[in-house]
Amino acid sequence: MPLELPRVEWATILPETILVVGAMLILLGGALLRRRLPAWVWTVASIIIAAGAMVSAWDLWRRVSHNHQGGAHTAIANAVVVDGFSVYFALLTCGAVILAALMADSYLRRERLNAPEFHVLMLLSASGALLMAAANDLIVIFLGLEVLSIALYVLAGFAQRRAVSREAAMKYFVLGAFSSAIFLYGVALAYGATGSTNLGEIAAFLRASVSTHAVLLGAFAFLIVGLGFKIAAVPFHMWTPDVYQGSPTPVTGFMAAVAKAAGFAALLRIFFSTFGTHRLDWQPLIWALAVLSILVGSVLAVVQTDVKRMLAYSSISHAGYILIGLQAATVRGLAGSLFYLLAYTFMVLGSFGIVTLVARDGDARTGLDAYRGLGQRRPGLALVFTVLLLAQAGVPLTSGFLAKFYVISAAVEAHSYALAIIAMLAAVIAAFFYLRVIVVMYMAGDEADTADADPIRVPFGAGLSLAVSVVATVIIGTILAGPAFDFARHASILRL
Amino acid sequence: MIDFPLLTTIVLLPAAGALLVALVPRRRADLAKVLGVAVSVGTAVLAVVALVHFKTNADYQFVSQHVWIKEWGISWKLGLDGISLFLVLLTGLLFPVALLGPKVHHDTKAYVAWLLLLEAGCMGVFLALDLFLFFIVWEVVLVPMYFLIGGWGYEKRVYAALKFFLYTMAGSGLMLVGILALAFLHQAHFGHLTFDLQTLAREQSFAHSTGRWLFLAFAISFAIKVPVFPLHTWLPDAHTEAPTAGSVILAGVLLKLGTYGFLRFGLELFPIAAHDLAPVLLTLGVVGILYGALVATVQKDLKRLVAYSSVAHLGFIVLGTFAFTTQGLEGGVLQMVNHGVSTGALFLLVGWIYERRHTREIAELGGLQKVAPVFAGVFMVVMLSSIGLPGLNGFVGEFLVLIGSFVSRRWWAVPATAGVILAALYLLWAYQRVFHGEPEGENATFPEMTWKERGVMLPLVAAIVFMGVYPRPVLDRIEPAVKRLVQHVHDANGTHEPGPAAAAGGGNP
Amino acid sequence: MAQYLPLLAMLILATVFAGGSFLASGLLAPKRPTLAKAAPYECGIVPDREPAERFPVRFYLVAMIFIIFDIEIIFLYPWAVIFRQLKGFGIFEMVLFTVAVFVSLVYLLANGALDWGPAKRLMATPTVDPAGARDPRRTSSSTVRRIGPTGKEAA
Repeated sequence: MPLELPRVEWATILPETILVVGAMLILLGGALLRRRLPAWVWTVASIIIAAGAMVSAWDLWRRVSHNHQGGAHTAIANAVVVDGFSVYFALLTCGAVILAALMADSYLRRERLNAPEFHVLMLLSASGALLMAAANDLIVIFLGLEVLSIALYVLAGFAQRRAVSREAAMKYFVLGAFSSAIFLYGVALAYGATGSTNLGEIAAFLRASVSTHAVLLGAFAFLIVGLGFKIAAVPFHMWTPDVYQGSPTPVTGFMAAVAKAAGFAALLRIFFSTFGTHRLDWQPLIWALAVLSILVGSVLAVVQTDVKRMLAYSSISHAGYILIGLQAATVRGLAGSLFYLLAYTFMVLGSFGIVTLVARDGDARTGLDAYRGLGQRRPGLALVFTVLLLAQAGVPLTSGFLAKFYVISAAVEAHSYALAIIAMLAAVIAAFFYLRVIVVMYMAGDEADTADADPIRVPFGAGLSLAVSVVATVIIGTILAGPAFDFARHASILRL
Repeated sequence: MIDFPLLTTIVLLPAAGALLVALVPRRRADLAKVLGVAVSVGTAVLAVVALVHFKTNADYQFVSQHVWIKEWGISWKLGLDGISLFLVLLTGLLFPVALLGPKVHHDTKAYVAWLLLLEAGCMGVFLALDLFLFFIVWEVVLVPMYFLIGGWGYEKRVYAALKFFLYTMAGSGLMLVGILALAFLHQAHFGHLTFDLQTLAREQSFAHSTGRWLFLAFAISFAIKVPVFPLHTWLPDAHTEAPTAGSVILAGVLLKLGTYGFLRFGLELFPIAAHDLAPVLLTLGVVGILYGALVATVQKDLKRLVAYSSVAHLGFIVLGTFAFTTQGLEGGVLQMVNHGVSTGALFLLVGWIYERRHTREIAELGGLQKVAPVFAGVFMVVMLSSIGLPGLNGFVGEFLVLIGSFVSRRWWAVPATAGVILAALYLLWAYQRVFHGEPEGENATFPEMTWKERGVMLPLVAAIVFMGVYPRPVLDRIEPAVKRLVQHVHDANGTHEPGPAAAAGGGNP
Repeated sequence: MAQYLPLLAMLILATVFAGGSFLASGLLAPKRPTLAKAAPYECGIVPDREPAERFPVRFYLVAMIFIIFDIEIIFLYPWAVIFRQLKGFGIFEMVLFTVAVFVSLVYLLANGALDWGPAKRLMATPTVDPAGARDPRRTSSSTVRRIGPTGKEAA
C-alpha cells in the first residue's frame, strides 16, 4: 500500500525552525563551552536567534499581507496555516523573547543562574507559541501547547534555590497538565462531533450542518476550560497569582506576555474562525468569562500589597478585556483582541522588568514598600513605571488606552452595551490599584531611604528592554496609532 | 483668517513646553519656572492672536484637520467659535497666573511640567472638534491634575487626588461607550465611520429613546466634571487639598470643561434628548445653587467655602445652558469666564493668606483689613464680583442667565435668584470675619500684598472690571455661536425660542 | 492465537530462569554470618537502632534518563516497520528526530549526568549564602563548644 507522503514546505515554518535549531545550538554550545564563555554571549545568541525568526516572519508577513487573501495558505498536509494571524503572533512572540532575554541577562548574573539553559527553554517555549498560532489542526495546537508549557514549567522553577520558585513550578505543572488534559478531552469531543481534528474540515462540517450536537457543546466547554487556564481567565485563574509571584520575575513577564498571547491565538482561531458558525452557542460563555475576569481581576488586585502579585491579578483583568474582542465575534473584535495583545505585550514586559530591577538580590523585594520613594531615588525608573501603569489603566496617549478603545468599540458595535459599560467601570477599579503604586512611588512622604544599602542598579540590557517597552507603549498610543491599527487589522486576515 | 496652524500650536506649545521643562536638570528650578512662565505666556499671546483675528460669526474658525487613524475616520480636528474663544482666553490667562502666583515648596521642575501638560489638555478640550480627540484630551487632563493634587497638596492630598481621578474616570468611561455607540449607529445608518462632531451633529441617526441613553452617558460624565449636585462630592476635597495653583486651575478651567461639554457636545449632538431631560438638569442645577450656597455658609475653612461657592455658581451655568434661550446660553458662557476669573482669583488670595498665616480657618483670622488694606481691597473686589455686584463681571453673567431662564423656565429661575442673595450672605459674612475687627496675635503682623502679587492680580482685576463695565465686545463675539446653537436645539425639537429672542439682552443696565 | 505461542514460551522461560537463579544462589552459596559482618559499620560501635538506608539520588536521575531515551527509541520501531514505504521522507524525518535526541544526549554527557563515582561539583555556584559563610565572627572558637571529661564546660 503506497503512502501519501506530505510535502514539507520548510519556508512556512521557518520562524519555528530557526527558534528550535537555535535553541539546540545554544544547548550544545552551553554544554561544551560553558566554562569558556561569559554569560552575555548566550543572551546575544538568543537575541540573534529570535531576531532571525522575526526577520523570517516578517518576510512571510510581506507575502501574506501583500495580496490580501491570496497570500494566506495552509501547508504541510493542512496541519499548518500561514496567514496574517499566525505571522502576527510570530512577530509578537519573537519581540517578547528579545525583550525578556535582555531583561533576563542581568537577572541571571545577579541570581547566579545558568544562562544557556534559560535561553534554550525560552526559545523552545516561544517555538511552541508560534506553533499554536500557526496550527490548523487541534492536534498541532496541542503539540504547540505542550512545547510551550513544558518549557515554561521548568522556567517557573528556574530559581531552584528559592522555595517559592519551586512551589510555582509545581503548581504550574500540576494545574497546567490538568488543563492540557481537559483541552485534549475537548479535542476528542470535537473530533467525535465533527469527524476531524483539522480546523478547516471542522469548519466545513459545521457550515454544512446547522444543528448543534450536545457533544459539540461539550467540546466548546472543554476547549474553553483548557485554554482558559492558559490565558488565566476567571474562574480558571487560581494558579496565576502564586505562579506569577513565585517565578523568576523575567520569566513572569515572559509567561504573562507569551503564554497568554499563545493561548489567545488558539482560542481566537478555534472559536472565531472554526466555530464561528456556532457563535451563539459559545458567546454567552465568553461573555461570562470576560465579565468575571475583568471584575475579579480588578477587585482582587486592589487588596494586594505585593506589586508582583498585583500585576498578576491585573493580567487576569487584561485577559478579560481581550476576551471582549472574542465575545463580539466580529472582524473588529478580532482585530481589537490582537491589538490589545500587542499593547499588552509591551506593557507587561516593561512592568515586570521594573519589578525585576526593584526586587534586587534574591528577587525578594516585590512588596509595595520596596517602591516607597522611588520617585526620589530613581526618578527615571519611577517615570517609566508610571507610564506603564497609566497605560495599563487605559489613560490616553498610551497604547493601553487604544487597546481598551478598540475592544470596547467592538463590543459597542456588536451591541454588547452592558459588557462595554461593565468593562469601563471596572477600569476605574483597576485605575485605583495602579494609582496606588504611583502614590507610593511619589507621594509616600520622606521616610524613603530605608533600603539604600542596596541601591537599585539598571544594567544596560535591562535599561534597553525598558526603554523599548515604554517607547513602544507611548508611540503606539500616539503617532503610530494608525499604522498599529492597520497592523492589527491585517493580522485579522484569517484563512477560513 | 491667518495661514498658520494657530490652534494646533496653542495645544502643542504647552505640551512641548512640558517636555522641555522635564529635560531641564533638577537643580535648575529657576530655569524650569522661567521656561514654564514663558511658554504659558506665549500660549496666552497666541490666544490673544486668535481673539484679534476672530471674525464675529457662528462658524468654527482657524479649523485645522489632519487625518490620524484613517480607517476609523479619526482626525486631529481643532476649531474655535464664539463659545470656546473666551474659554481659551481664560485658560491662557489663568495658567501664567497660576504659575507665577503661589510659591512652590519642592520639585519645581515636575510641578511646572505638569501644569504645562494640564494647559495643553485644557486647550485641547476647548478646541477639539473630533469626539475621539476630545475624549483623549478630556482624559489627559486628569493625569497632571492628579499629580498636582497628590504631589503638592495639603494633608489629605492623596485621598483627594484619588477621589478626583476615580470619579472623573468613572464618568468618562460611560462617555466613551456613548461616543462609540454614537459613531457606530451613525456608521450603520450612513455607511461610514466618523468621529467628527459637525458630521455627527448634522446627520442624526438614532431613535429618540436611544438618543436619551446616549445623552445620559455624556451627561453623567459632564455632570461629574461640572459638578452637578449630587455628583459634586469630589470637588470640596479636591479643591481644598490641592495646592493653590491646582485650585486656581481646577476652579478656573477644569470645572468649565463640564459645562463646556454640555454646550458643545450635549446640546449639539442630542438636542432632542437634552430638551427632554432639561427639567432634570435644571432642577439639579437649582438644587446645586441653593445647596452649594447653604453649605458654603457654614464652612469654617475659607478654601472650602470658596469651593462650595463654586458648586453654587456652576448651578447658574447649568441653569443658563438648559434654558435654551440666547440670553441664557450667553449668560452661561459669560458666567463660565467670570467664574474662572473671580474664583481663580479668590483661590489665589486664599492661597496667599495660607502662605502668610499657615491656616485657612476663618475663626483664626480677623482684622486683616487694618494691617493689609490693599490685600483686603483686592479681596473685596474679587468677592463682590463673585457675589454679582452690578458693575462687576459676575453681575452681567448671572443677570443674563436669570433673564434667559425666566423667559422659558420660570419655575426654576425664581428659586435660583435666592442663590444670588445667599452668595452675598456667605461671602460678605466670611469677609467680615476675616478682614474686619481688630487684628490679634499673628494677624497683627499679616504682611501686605507684595508688588509681585499685585502684578499677578492686576490682569484678573482688570478683566473683572472690564467685563463688568463694558461686556458688549465679549457678548458680541459669543452671540452668533450661541444663537446658532439655540436655533439648532429648537429646530430639532420643532419649537421656537420664547420671548424677545432677537434682542441681545444684558449689558450693563 | 498460534502466532503468540513463542511469546508465551519466552515469558515462561524468562520467569523460570530468573526464579531459578535466585533459588540456586540461595541454596548453593555458603552462609557463615557473624555479628560483626552483619553490622552496617565495621568500626566497633554497635548501632542501637536500624540505620537509614542510603541510596544515591543519582539512581533516579539515571532511571529517568533511561526512560526518556527508551521512549525515544520505541518511536523507531513503527518507523522501521514501514521504512520502505516512507522512502527518503522517512529517512530525513528520522534523521531530524535522531539529531534532536543526540543533542540532548550530548548535553547530558557534558553535564556529567552519567558520570559515576564520587560526586563532583558540577557548577561553580555556591549553594550556601556566601555572605553568611564569610562572616568573620564565625570562627572555630565561636561555633565549637569545648567540654571537659566531666561533661561540664571547660573554663
